Amino acid sequence: MSPPHRVNPQPLSLSPRQPKDPTTTEMARSNFSVLTILSVILLLPVLSLSFSPDSPSDRRLLVLFDDLSLQSSHSIFFNSLKSRGFDLDFKLADDPKLALQRYGQYLYDGLILFSPSIERFGGALDLAAVLDFVDSGHDLIIAADSSASDLIKSVATECGVDFDEDPSALVIDHRSYAVVGIEGDHTLIAADDFIESDVLLGENKIEAPVLFKGIAHSLNAANNLVLKVLSASPAAYSANPSSKLSSPPSLTGSTISLVSVVQARNNARIMITGSLDLFSNRFFRSSVQKAGSPKRYDKSGNEQFVAELSKWVFHERGHLKAVNLRHNKAGETDEPAMYRIKDDLDFSVEIYEWSGKSWEPYVANDVQVQFYMMSPYVLKTLSNDKKGLYHTSFKVPDVYGVFQFKVEYNRLGYTSLLLSKQIPVRPFKHNEYERFITAAFPYYGASFTMMAGFFIFSFVYLYHK
Amino acid sequence: MARSLEGFLVLIVAALVYSSAVASVFQPISDSHRSVALELFTPLEGSFSSLAETYEALRTFEVLGIDKKTDINTAACQSVLETLGSSSSALKDLFYALKVNGILKCEIKKDVFEGVTSSLQATVSSAGALLDFYYSVGGLVIIKDQTSKDDLYLADAEGVFGSIKALSQSDGRWRYNSNNPESSTFAAGLALQALADVVSLSSSEIDQSLIGATKNDILKLFDSIEKYDDGTFYFDEKLVDTHEHQGPLSTTSSVVRGLTAFAAVTSGSLNLPSGKILGLARFLLGIGIPGDAKDLFNQVDSLASLESNLVAIPLILSLPATVLSLTKKDSVKVKVNTVLGSNAPPLTVKLVGVFRSGSKDTSLVEGQELKFNPESAVYALDALPKSVDVGKYTFVFEMVLHDPDHLNLYATGGQTQIPIFVTGLVKVDSAEIAVLDSDLGSTETKKIDLSGENTVSLSANHLQKLRLSFQLSTSLGHAFKPHQAILKLTHESKVEHSFVVGSSGKHFLGLVEKFFYLSGKYNVQLTVGDAVMENSFLKAIGHLDLDLPEPPEKAAQPPPQLLDQKLRYGPKAEITHIFRVPEKLPPKELSHAFLGLTLLPLLGFLIGLLHLGVNLKNFPSSSVPAMFAVLFHLGIAAVLLLYALFWLKWDLFTTLKALGFLGAFLMFVGHRILSHLASISSKLKSA
Repeated sequence: MSPPHRVNPQPLSLSPRQPKDPTTTEMARSNFSVLTILSVILLLPVLSLSFSPDSPSDRRLLVLFDDLSLQSSHSIFFNSLKSRGFDLDFKLADDPKLALQRYGQYLYDGLILFSPSIERFGGALDLAAVLDFVDSGHDLIIAADSSASDLIKSVATECGVDFDEDPSALVIDHRSYAVVGIEGDHTLIAADDFIESDVLLGENKIEAPVLFKGIAHSLNAANNLVLKVLSASPAAYSANPSSKLSSPPSLTGSTISLVSVVQARNNARIMITGSLDLFSNRFFRSSVQKAGSPKRYDKSGNEQFVAELSKWVFHERGHLKAVNLRHNKAGETDEPAMYRIKDDLDFSVEIYEWSGKSWEPYVANDVQVQFYMMSPYVLKTLSNDKKGLYHTSFKVPDVYGVFQFKVEYNRLGYTSLLLSKQIPVRPFKHNEYERFITAAFPYYGASFTMMAGFFIFSFVYLYHK
Repeated sequence: MARSLEGFLVLIVAALVYSSAVASVFQPISDSHRSVALELFTPLEGSFSSLAETYEALRTFEVLGIDKKTDINTAACQSVLETLGSSSSALKDLFYALKVNGILKCEIKKDVFEGVTSSLQATVSSAGALLDFYYSVGGLVIIKDQTSKDDLYLADAEGVFGSIKALSQSDGRWRYNSNNPESSTFAAGLALQALADVVSLSSSEIDQSLIGATKNDILKLFDSIEKYDDGTFYFDEKLVDTHEHQGPLSTTSSVVRGLTAFAAVTSGSLNLPSGKILGLARFLLGIGIPGDAKDLFNQVDSLASLESNLVAIPLILSLPATVLSLTKKDSVKVKVNTVLGSNAPPLTVKLVGVFRSGSKDTSLVEGQELKFNPESAVYALDALPKSVDVGKYTFVFEMVLHDPDHLNLYATGGQTQIPIFVTGLVKVDSAEIAVLDSDLGSTETKKIDLSGENTVSLSANHLQKLRLSFQLSTSLGHAFKPHQAILKLTHESKVEHSFVVGSSGKHFLGLVEKFFYLSGKYNVQLTVGDAVMENSFLKAIGHLDLDLPEPPEKAAQPPPQLLDQKLRYGPKAEITHIFRVPEKLPPKELSHAFLGLTLLPLLGFLIGLLHLGVNLKNFPSSSVPAMFAVLFHLGIAAVLLLYALFWLKWDLFTTLKALGFLGAFLMFVGHRILSHLASISSKLKSA
């Protein structure tokens, strides 16, 4: 599928979702007040709908079930969301009054689909409505299981993830299953092949394996926005445990993804998994021992894994904003309208990360700036002061034309930053070249001695007798 | 004959499937319930939000044997006293206050009870709705229990019974009140409870025909019971009511409470099949541990009423482990408990049969009795039957009660089928991999050791065949066929191909398209695994060099592979601009040396002039020409200075302007001095 994306209407603005720093826009506001009002009117629906850092406490989530008993069997997960300030609305997936938006306004900021077997949503909700919801920057969690319906599978397909087509297939792993006295068919997987990313899974390492029981999915190779967060072991395969294998399973080994996430170009975040039980109280509380390992953990890694990943999905981590992109000639403070080739310049930008409560300085050593005209002429890593300010200085190349300062920051799990600012570069003026070249001193000397000689000679010639 | 035998077998199988199609193992209430109960029922600042919630917490703690009364006591008793003392309390609050008091035994004065009793009795006599009956009669029963007032009777018990019964429907369900035509299963449970309370409050025997009619209602209600495949039964509301929808759990527990209460106060059997009672218990246990306080209360409370009911007490047969290892010599252990986990009455557990799952053959063992260990209350079979090899089995157990009187008291559910996995080590032998030219001749055969490391290197072209063979045998010497036996070839470009091992060799000719005509090195990997195989393995065997023909024009392209995430997300390499190299200039010293050299001719010129004995005798002596001569040379000097200024700072236009003035001036003074000099020289010539 073509991943959802939205064309950014303002090339210079960071993202329409992010509030601008008042100090930077103060001047712009007076100059372009008409333009600002116009753009605010245009962006108003967008601003009021999706991730809004101004009111993180009233984020509303819609949770859809096949069966309301899930509310009780998965209560730990829901309670952890509630305790983080989310407002949960539980509904049956076939509720005839279901709607995501009213009068063009979205009623929710996120959608949790815990209704694997639903063939048709109730009310105004359908596949297109779910995709529109994501396309407008909202977050989505999909959990399927062995009863996954075509509808849920097609939502996942649209997000870049393909569930196993065989409806009876489950993920089986005869080598890294969870040792439980009453589960003998090795479909309860103890998975510990996590993606290495602090932003997705938190800074604390998940020690205990995560219990998984459900269906396999694979990532669509054409979609480069989807990531495997938890993958199966190389010995895993997706098949029906109770019937003989006649043809090779369509998904084997580490190709099988157990939990995947997508971050769309509009920063909408999606989590997809083939196991609804992954979120259940039973798995959260269960002790876990991976086959072949002597260590038994009192508690599975599910609670930590799900909590951390849901923090990421609902933008409590990894959401960046960049403000105050500035540049000036070395030694000056004002931003020039134009640079000359070989000028020395200072460049700075401020980057902050949303922590769930406030914007905290973002500290990283791999933010880069490009000085770009058709291709980067200069690409430099910025140094930071640990307070969110990134800066560097470099010499303007000796090529003139219309350049751009470009900050393209795409890191695993973080929202991508795409900033650019246009700036022309001119060549030397005629009087800006070096005036007295040492190599020309003999010529200067020759001319002036010649002139002195002429002056003396004029006396000699005229008055000699 | 053969045909009839076949029919007979089918019948047996069908009977087995029907009698107890148990697919899951139900475990009775355990300690994990207790810890969850403590987690779910945590009072906020010492008290619960409502009396109903307080009662649910206290009742759950009471059933589970958790002593938390002291923590809640003061605040709860305070609230009970307030509710009972106030004349304006709602009926529901009064009911729950009495229930809380029933557990906490708060100190309440007699006259308070008197007041409540009279107000409840007034409500009973004027009530019309089911809930009013339920709360008021229920409240009276609790007061009777607490105050041991034997003279507390309903004045017109039979009349009240009749008016509750009047709300019943023909299908066994009840209406909430006479105005509302909608009937509900949940209400039926409440009604049965209320009827039971009426019976216990009646001073004389209730008319047997009314009791009989109610029993009939219960039977009808059980006709609407719903069933899962694994032998669990439950009640659910037919109509998804708009405002107060009750889920299957609360509906079932309401019916169970009502049924057991009614059975407790009436004489005579209800004639309910004990299998259904067992099925209800299984449903309640099958929920596991609910994460919701209300659900937990419903589960625990209704299980508690099943624990000692007079219809049939369900006995739950459970296995601590259904995965038995042959290598560890695990024995079959069975526990029989009541739903709340207390020990069962004396009984014998028999292993009636062991069947290979999926096959319809006869049992592998004759009936065997399990040994009871009174200390651990576990029934165990010392060793697995000799004929049981690794594999999946269905074990069929049967409980036989020792005391024949117990037969009517307990529900054992006949035979219980439990799926058992018997695991063990599987021996891997004579593994070899070969590339064959044709069906017969083999060019390369390499033995491989599937227990150790292998680095076999093979090469083949598209006309050849690959054959991998190995033998698996169980410890009893039977051939073993694993569920997972997958050979995986992975090309350098990460394109993978999986084959199920088992069919004959793979011919590369038929596979070239599948391989996308990708020649080169393939890594060969074998995965063998099964649920009952303890030594499932994943082995790299080595690599295979495939020489495949060139792809035709329209051949399918290999599927795109996932990009490495590091490539996509890592920082890019830095770029620094390479500036144009400035033109090569001679060193400063050289320029300065040549500057010195350029001064030399001027010096030579001056020295030459001195040698020649230059004089300025021709300089005009008279004042006017002398003045012009001085001005003329100053003009020349000014022009030269102008050149220097032009070189140093002025632009062309300023210079030209100045030069214009200077030129005119120079022309004038030059003309005067030169004509003066010319006239002097012509005078000299003529003289």
